[in-house]
Amino acid sequence: MENQKNSSKKYLNPYLGGVLLGIVILAANFVSGRGVGASGAIKSAVVTTVNTIAPKHAENSIFYQEYNESHPKPMKSWLVFQMLGVLVGGFISGAISGRLKLKVEHSPKITSRRRLIFAVLGGILFGFGSQMGRGCTSGSALSGMSVISLGGFITMAAIFGTAFVLAYFFRKNWI
Amino acid sequence: MREEIIVSGRMNPNIDPHLHIWHWQIPLYLFLGGLAAGLLFFVALLTIQGKEDKYPTATRWVTLFVPILLILGLFALFLDLKHKLFFWRLYTTVRLESPMGWGAWTLMIITPLSMIWAALNIRLIFPNWNWPWQWLWDFESFINKNKKILAWITIFYALILGLYTGILFSAFNARPLWNTSILGPLFLVSGLSTGAAVIILFSKNKEERHFFARIDLMLIGIELFLITHMFMGFLASTQVQIDAANLFLGGPFTAPFWVFVVSLGLVLPAILEFMEIRKFKIPAFLPAVLVLMGGLILRFIIANAGQMSRWLY
Repeated sequence: MENQKNSSKKYLNPYLGGVLLGIVILAANFVSGRGVGASGAIKSAVVTTVNTIAPKHAENSIFYQEYNESHPKPMKSWLVFQMLGVLVGGFISGAISGRLKLKVEHSPKITSRRRLIFAVLGGILFGFGSQMGRGCTSGSALSGMSVISLGGFITMAAIFGTAFVLAYFFRKNWI
Repeated sequence: MREEIIVSGRMNPNIDPHLHIWHWQIPLYLFLGGLAAGLLFFVALLTIQGKEDKYPTATRWVTLFVPILLILGLFALFLDLKHKLFFWRLYTTVRLESPMGWGAWTLMIITPLSMIWAALNIRLIFPNWNWPWQWLWDFESFINKNKKILAWITIFYALILGLYTGILFSAFNARPLWNTSILGPLFLVSGLSTGAAVIILFSKNKEERHFFARIDLMLIGIELFLITHMFMGFLASTQVQIDAANLFLGGPFTAPFWVFVVSLGLVLPAILEFMEIRKFKIPAFLPAVLVLMGGLILRFIIANAGQMSRWLY
């Protein structure tokens, strides 16, 4: 059956994947005039939610006020649509390779719950970091490095450097 | 109620420059009406072909939902009326030149028809259903003997229901975006497609899901063709139609239409259904939900964009 043949080569060669990702960033720059990103789309969603649910809080906070002044329609941004495309593309790629399964991927040594708790904690820290650094790995680091921006290199070094240094303390989650 | 005397449409801020008359109730009704038309079409078609046992969801189970959809749609229409207590006046006259009249009478006929279909299949939920009066038993056996005739009548009115929703808009020639006769077939095909999607969602039978996935794929192809030709028609017409088309080609409706209606609502379900035919594993509900979402958003966008389009002065 075709499904079995496909599942034996589930993942693309990582070097080839990297080259394709670089071509995607080039194409994004050509099509939209800016690189790719991820945390910007989430920021748009968060700001829209806060504006709808708690407009008073949004008015009183400098963070939301500054963003709302420069972005009258937060959801109408390239990044939001790009993020939708990422979801669709990831889904199709998973469907083609037979990887479509609702599950939590974790090391066999820990439970799903522990994995999810650490994912949430890490996500919260990453949220802070991406706002302080004006971007995450794809927006600031990858797209920034692709236009030889110094900030991009610093962000990349900081993200991966910190990860290398602190990985020893979290090794039990993986090995 | 404060009344004003208005001499020309240009004095009415609800008409000039943009129409502000039809709000959410109308697109919601168009969606529900199209969906009901699609479902009834498949019920009737498969009954005529004698394939009731092969496709039980499509011919039996969905009949129980269609009256509910029609009643919700009619309620949305009722909410839209300004003088609600006078709704019955639509049924005191037959005007062949009024699409709204066609619609009102078609709904008047098709709602009881859909209830008859639901009544025939009521024993799916209530196996020991007993009619309280003898004439209902006689009526039921009469309809069961003449099911094919009922199906032919239903197919005719289901097609009219699906078509008239688009023709209703296209008869409004003061708004250039609506004034195209492609809107009738477009809304019909969209209604049939959403009907097929609902059948796929509720079907427990793999063969039925695959059959309707293939039908849906074909209907999506037709819908994309109609949308393309609608825009070709606009761009080849006069300046007002070109301006109306430009609402979707760089104007305010560009992103919602091409991303949510065409890409996520038509192209992506077509890709997923094609992959399913090629034996990839796709969760069956996903193309169906995307098609339903696309159909709903299509009607909202066409209603709002049409009210924004206008003639040059």
